[in-house]
Amino acid sequence: MANSSLEGRIALVTGAGGGMGRSHALLLAERGADVIVLDIIDGIEETAATIRERGRRAHPLRVDIRDVPALQSGIQEATDAFGPIDILVNNAGVGGRRLLIDEIGVEDFDRMFEVHVRGTFFATQAVVPGMTERNYGRIVNISSIYAMGGSPRASHYSAAKAAISGFTKCWARELAPHRITVNAVAPGFVVTGMTSGSNSAEQIAEREKGMPLGRFTRPEDISYAVAWLASDETEMITGQVVSPNAGETIVGI
Amino acid sequence: MSVTLERKVVLITGSGSGMGRSHAVLMAERGARVVVHDIDPDRVAETADLVRAAGSPPHEICCDMRDIDALANAIEETERDYGPVDILVNNAGIGGQGLTLGDIDIATFDAMFQVHVRGTFFATRAVVPRMKARRAGKIVNISSNFAMGGSHFASHYAAAKSAISGLTKSWAREFAPFNIAVNAVAPGLLETNLTLGSIGRERIKAMAAEVPLGRIADPVEISYAVAWLASAETDFMTGQVISPNGGVSIVGI
Repeated sequence: MANSSLEGRIALVTGAGGGMGRSHALLLAERGADVIVLDIIDGIEETAATIRERGRRAHPLRVDIRDVPALQSGIQEATDAFGPIDILVNNAGVGGRRLLIDEIGVEDFDRMFEVHVRGTFFATQAVVPGMTERNYGRIVNISSIYAMGGSPRASHYSAAKAAISGFTKCWARELAPHRITVNAVAPGFVVTGMTSGSNSAEQIAEREKGMPLGRFTRPEDISYAVAWLASDETEMITGQVVSPNAGETIVGI
Repeated sequence: MSVTLERKVVLITGSGSGMGRSHAVLMAERGARVVVHDIDPDRVAETADLVRAAGSPPHEICCDMRDIDALANAIEETERDYGPVDILVNNAGIGGQGLTLGDIDIATFDAMFQVHVRGTFFATRAVVPRMKARRAGKIVNISSNFAMGGSHFASHYAAAKSAISGLTKSWAREFAPFNIAVNAVAPGLLETNLTLGSIGRERIKAMAAEVPLGRIADPVEISYAVAWLASAETDFMTGQVISPNGGVSIVGI
């Protein structure tokens, strides 16, 4: 009988220096995984320290995910230290700051796609050979409800997340012969350091009132989905999206 | 480590065999108190024995899903004697027999919609008042990947399962203010008595060869999704569908 334990697994979580990524890394560690904590920010040390306190190994990896050669060598170095990666959580992201089309400059646009799309692609490319070799792997991409339903602002964010959905569906097919599953988790609005930077407290309170379940999602609501999709209970789930969004978006059944 | 359902009362319609029985046993193992329902008294007793063996004292209901009064009375009596239903799994179903349009007569058509659609509707209608009063509840409907992508046979089955998807999405919105989550699990092909009877072993084997992950799911792999959606880990998920189908259907992200 399979269960939700991740005992003995090696996980790589990108963007795990804070926010949702940290929450994923901690839950995976709680369930038995050793975790490679990748981020550009100082928070990697704190995430790693918390994981170690909980009795698992942690490997902080400071990398700017836009720097592909650094990403590749960082993953190689982490794999040399920890062993081959079983679970990849492509979480690294940047906020859309609710920008309208004429407010999105070339730099904003490029950064959005470099972090989400190139980052997800090249992190996965670096990890997949080790998974293919062992005929085992769990890839969990972080998409967004805005990829499903669009958003009146931050079209560059929605489109980057939609591109991640595209990867998810294609890789599910491409990697199925190697028993690697690829799924996405599409959060609704989650209050984190990233989103509170792009929304005022009043905006957040106003939007929260409109939620069918009366409050926004917490990072751990998302982590439960990530951890479950990383477990052995989901061997036959691939190419799917799980959206813990409290009823904000209801589509695609 | 697994998601716990400790002391929750779960009613699983059609749990005398196949997937329903698998859900009953897994949820009993995870601590739930299981209400076993089926049209066949011998099957009810068999599943009840398995539930008891898994460590949970079962409650047994035997009635035809098409008999709305009998169903409502049985649920009323269950809630009085055994406790209010915390989790409802609308699983009862019948097979599509591989029928094409010209083969589906009025009786076949009506039975399909009576069991799946009226059955799901009125079982839910019977448990929701007490869920609303307690402002807590989980409803897991069993849809099908045929509801997402259609099927070249058994259009009455695909349409009935699509109707269940419609109920899922609407109820998610209707019941959200009462903290009742409604989600669906959409299995791909399984080998159960139902599918062996309707599709046949040879055709199942041929269809399994087309599954990207190279096999068909074991019923317990559907139960893992049901049990997860019934757990506190998914309190913030509603109106969603999870499809453990091995990559056969990849849609709707």
